[in-house]
Amino acid sequence: MTALVFYVFATILVLSATMVISARNPVHSVLFLILGFFNAAGLFLLAGAEFLAMLLIIVYVGAVAVLFLFVVMMLDIRVSEAREGLQRYAPFGAAVGAVLFAELILAFGHWRIAPAIDAVPHLGQAAGETNTAALGDLIYTHYVLLFQACGLVLLVAMIGAIVLTLRERPTGRRQDIERQHARTVADTLELRRLPLGRSVRELGGFARPTSYSEAAAKGSYDPHAPVLSDESRGE
Amino acid sequence: MNWIIAFPELVLTLCGLVILTVGVVQKKSTNPFAACSMLTIAAFAITGFLVTVSPDGSGYEHVFVNDGFARFMKVLSLIGGALATIMTLSYRGTSGGGRFELPVLILFSTIGTMLMASSDNMMTLFVGLELSSLAIYILCAFDRDSVVSSESGLKYFILGSLASGLLLYGISLTYGYGGTMEYGAIRTVLIQSGGASLGLMLGIVFLIAGLAFKLSAVPFHMWTPDVYQGAPTPVTAYLAGAPKIATFALILRIMAGPFGALAPQWQLLIEMISVLSMVFGSLAAIPQTNIKRLMAYSSIGHMGYALMGLAAATPGGIRGTLVYLTTYLFMNVGVFAGIAAMRRKGHETTDIADLSGLGRTSPGLALMMAIFMFSMLGMPPTAGFFGKLMVFSAAYGAGLYGLLAIGAITSAIGAYYYLRIVKVMYFDASAPAFDTRSPSLAFLSVSMGIVTALFVLVLGPVTSAAQAAASALIG
Amino acid sequence: MHDVIASYFPVLVFGVIAVGIAGAMLGGSLLAGHQKPYAEKTSAYECGFEAFDDARRRFDVRFYLVAILFIIFDLEVAFLFPWAVSLSHVGLFGFLSMLGFLGMLTVGFIYEWCKGALDWD
Repeated sequence: MTALVFYVFATILVLSATMVISARNPVHSVLFLILGFFNAAGLFLLAGAEFLAMLLIIVYVGAVAVLFLFVVMMLDIRVSEAREGLQRYAPFGAAVGAVLFAELILAFGHWRIAPAIDAVPHLGQAAGETNTAALGDLIYTHYVLLFQACGLVLLVAMIGAIVLTLRERPTGRRQDIERQHARTVADTLELRRLPLGRSVRELGGFARPTSYSEAAAKGSYDPHAPVLSDESRGE
Repeated sequence: MNWIIAFPELVLTLCGLVILTVGVVQKKSTNPFAACSMLTIAAFAITGFLVTVSPDGSGYEHVFVNDGFARFMKVLSLIGGALATIMTLSYRGTSGGGRFELPVLILFSTIGTMLMASSDNMMTLFVGLELSSLAIYILCAFDRDSVVSSESGLKYFILGSLASGLLLYGISLTYGYGGTMEYGAIRTVLIQSGGASLGLMLGIVFLIAGLAFKLSAVPFHMWTPDVYQGAPTPVTAYLAGAPKIATFALILRIMAGPFGALAPQWQLLIEMISVLSMVFGSLAAIPQTNIKRLMAYSSIGHMGYALMGLAAATPGGIRGTLVYLTTYLFMNVGVFAGIAAMRRKGHETTDIADLSGLGRTSPGLALMMAIFMFSMLGMPPTAGFFGKLMVFSAAYGAGLYGLLAIGAITSAIGAYYYLRIVKVMYFDASAPAFDTRSPSLAFLSVSMGIVTALFVLVLGPVTSAAQAAASALIG
Repeated sequence: MHDVIASYFPVLVFGVIAVGIAGAMLGGSLLAGHQKPYAEKTSAYECGFEAFDDARRRFDVRFYLVAILFIIFDLEVAFLFPWAVSLSHVGLFGFLSMLGFLGMLTVGFIYEWCKGALDWD
């Protein structure tokens, strides 16, 4: 029964991996990659690594594949030009792949399970404890330094994403709350006495601000700002 | 748990978080760049002091180790980070003033390098390497309105991720066939089993491949010229210094520690990488016209010479590599400080032809650049000579005469392009003068020039510190 | 191993029923509904990209920034899962280590907030 499930997951995984590299449309490639991730998560489940399987789906499919899709959609990949390169480099790629495959076979020919593997204390799960709880017992105590270093890696990634992509866009029309609260009656209602035939504009205009540039929070709106070249919204 | 052993790293992390917060809560009108840079340099100084007084020991349950070797490498990394941060004070970029995240990212990258130097576990190796590299990928693309900068960041990131993949594959094979991630336990397993299975050897090969990428050793050097040329010059100065030193710390620690018993197996591989790097670094630099690309190829060559010490696989070899890395760090920072000064009307001009006649237009800068060029080619009594001397004598002592001969020949070939720069500076017709150097660049080039020229004065202390580090590693 | 399969069997049943119900809804409307489309009806309303068009077009990098910030906090949550189930075993030390991790990411959050990455415009 387990063998059947394993072969189903493994076959679909290998097939979808092949489709990733041979699909014509890059978006189809990413969708096959997602299918591959799901099957890999199934394989992890079979091996007893529940947390890793769920993490694969939540993080890989839920976030990383989404990022892949963003990049693939943003780039206009000319599939025919990419295929030309394939013809020239295919023998070289095949040679590298063959060497790696031979290494894999050599390496796994020497595989032996250590007889003392069950004696390693923190590898076994206590009875009735789930895989996630067993992992949690270790990460926050035994490997706390690595855990904090991973937090640092995430922080650096956050800084990097903002440093590289965030631009100050003066199209915000953000409200200036303090200015709104500090409004006085004189700011809201203005009575002008106009002689016959004259307009307000001749006599100096209204005192209230009439454009976003004045009323918005400073720096957030500039109607004359040049539109940056990467600011193309979807048509 | 002995958590106090990582106290310098904890202090530096805290400083980084504080500096980041300080920088971001400033009002829009004040640019916190200068303040954050100064605070970062102060944080490096404090951490350097804490590292020198830190006690030996192992902590966090075989994940972290501190010994003389780790202290030496950490101090070198911190010096590299501090010097690069001083260089950023003059950085203008294409969009005006610098942004304060630049010193903060250098600080986080240095934390990664410190973790790498203190690793006692394959996982620490990987996490430290990733932390350091991720910050550098971002730094390379920092000048986001410049196409070459984005190109360099993208290339380094993609190739670096591939190398990390190879490294992880090696780590997983080593874990599978060694049974544990801890260096001490792997060493015990290998000594007891009297040799390595094929799977473990494959793991070591992939490990070396992944680490050789970070070192820009041939044949994993493809990223180096484009990344060095495109990244902002202070970032290139950092990238050519501290991460290479930290990767050397890693590779020395792995090869001397867990895989020390397998030296006959991996020695040939390291020798080949060393030979290829030296030959390629010297030959490919000859037709270059851009000085940053030239420095990239020259640093490939330097890594070849430094690997010679590792190929010798003796304590003397490790000592030679450490001294070489020290001299390399100072030379490199000095050269890049000079390159960063090559600006005309606010634009960076990095062709070698732009250096023409520098001897007449700016004698101070030309003198410093000449000192660095002589040091790079290994002329006595500059620092580079002593580095090469120690590495060559270690190779001689280990009987690697072929390697030694190739090293000597490539040194002679390399002398051509270093001397060509000196000739262009002093004997060619003058090009228009550069903009006045900012004080930080002047300070850096002069101080590094003095250190390089008078290295013979500090040679004794540096060598004995390196000797202590090597014995701490082997013993 | 057989335990694992047996314990995830309800998930399979759930998946099959979900696919079945969704398929029944779509199939039902396909078979039994009146289909009289015209241009006005099938065009996008309120906002959005055109349906049934090539998915590849340039769009603003702000979407990408939101996705990256999501993934970082998603990973933070992923680290919180094992902590939540094992908190009784790891005691005060585990609690403090998670506090340190959360503190670092809170500094990152403050950084994001003050830089304006959380403002869409």
